[in-house]
Amino acid sequence: MTSPNAMGALKAECALTLRILFRQPAFWVPTVLFPAMLYAFFGAQSGGGQWAANAMASFIVYAAVGVGFYLFGVSIAQDRVSPFATWQRSLPGRFVDQWIARIVAALIFVVIAAALVAVMALVMTDVSLNAAAWVRLSVVCLLSAVAATLMGIALGSLVSASASVAIANLIYLPLAYLGGLWVPPFAMPEVIAAISEWTPTRAMGELAWAAVEARAWEVDHLILLLAWALAAGALAAAAQRRTRPA
Amino acid sequence: MTQSMHEYPISASGLSKRFGAVEAVRRVDLEVAPGRALGLLGPNGAGKSTTLSMLMGLMRPDAGEARIFGHPAGSPAARAVTGATPQATGFPDQVSPREILAYAAARYGATPDVDAMAERFGLGALIDRRVAGFSGGEMRRVALALAFVGAPKLVFLDEPTAGLDADAQEAFRETARAYVAEGGALVLTSHQWDEIEAISDAIALIDRGETVLHGDVDAFRARARVSRLSFALPDGAAPPGWMGAVRESERWRMETADSDAALRRLVEEGTPFADLSLEPLSLKDLIARVREEETNR
Repeated sequence: MTSPNAMGALKAECALTLRILFRQPAFWVPTVLFPAMLYAFFGAQSGGGQWAANAMASFIVYAAVGVGFYLFGVSIAQDRVSPFATWQRSLPGRFVDQWIARIVAALIFVVIAAALVAVMALVMTDVSLNAAAWVRLSVVCLLSAVAATLMGIALGSLVSASASVAIANLIYLPLAYLGGLWVPPFAMPEVIAAISEWTPTRAMGELAWAAVEARAWEVDHLILLLAWALAAGALAAAAQRRTRPA
Repeated sequence: MTQSMHEYPISASGLSKRFGAVEAVRRVDLEVAPGRALGLLGPNGAGKSTTLSMLMGLMRPDAGEARIFGHPAGSPAARAVTGATPQATGFPDQVSPREILAYAAARYGATPDVDAMAERFGLGALIDRRVAGFSGGEMRRVALALAFVGAPKLVFLDEPTAGLDADAQEAFRETARAYVAEGGALVLTSHQWDEIEAISDAIALIDRGETVLHGDVDAFRARARVSRLSFALPDGAAPPGWMGAVRESERWRMETADSDAALRRLVEEGTPFADLSLEPLSLKDLIARVREEETNR
């Protein structure tokens, strides 16, 4: 089944998704500006040196989660009920292509949003990282975006279109807080800190902070992030199977 | 794939679907052979759309099964040979018909001549414009082209010409007949009897979730060999009582199983008829008559 044919279908899926998105500047311009703006207001003031680097890393993870989870994942709840999506399900080809296209689109917009945060940091603070740190931070950013988009797709596949945004808010904002993206983990109350250990955002944060502090990544954090991504993928696949007879 | 040569485009048996307390579709059986067009008829809410959704594999039946060329409805093998119109209201605004057609073609792994398709479906001037701002009829043309873009062997058309102007309707009927003549199988729903009549050679009448009538139009015609005789009479004249003719605006009409005998008698009796016409029953009247016969039996 995986032939030039299947590649052509995947390329067409990505092209359609990206065309629709890029031709809506009213959608994507605020989307990519938002994390940089938030960083300028709340992140850039958190001091200099390592503090500044860690804050920037936190907001880059925040950008990846926000854009991926919210805008490319959860929005599947709305798209899923459109007549166009219903027709798409009647077409031949693999369903998973639509998820891949979503993830590809999310990665592109996350890269732009994260780059704007980095530019803001370079302009407003004395952050200076070596090339290895930038590369590692970029890798964390992309991994986080993939995991967050999968989590959003899972949520968007499970709940109705009208409930999706409200439920997404209930998950996304606490996750950002619990992960230590706004308040560093050591400043958290004990109970919160204990919960924090298990959140995907904390794993993303730890990997990002390790990158900018030139520390080695801990395997635990990689495994935790991978587990969340796999669980989300499995959940989304199960939800998908409900609506698809064959 | 070899078995598909011998399998019917559609063979569905005992399809049933329930939504809560409502039994939307009850034990529906349908068959469509290659090179045939089936018209799905029925009042609003009769279960046509639910039946169509199950045949397209978009909805799982509670009982029964639908097979497309021998493959389960909705399976990859079934979808590969099936085309359908999206509901015309649902296109993303930001893309052009050419882009949507290219997308759909890629999903089928097909390489159609998009310009020829644009011509055939009346999209010539529209093909590179974004669909935002398209009229209902223009959207519908895109939707119809999409159903055929993957060179499918079976096509589902739900209300295909709703919103089309007369020329576009006629052009579409031409396309549909040509497709069937080349061996394609077609299922269409419509509220327009003349459209069903122009395209379909078989019909299934669904009412309150059940197939009340399913068969070839020709077979129904052979069964109810009835034609409609109509003519004008001079002012003040009335047709002979044996005809049981009824007045319809300026003309009189009767339905008869033996039009030859009726005509001979009219001539023998010297009835002053003018502008006489003799036509087969319209599909709508034919179906009404067949149903009446079945319930009286």
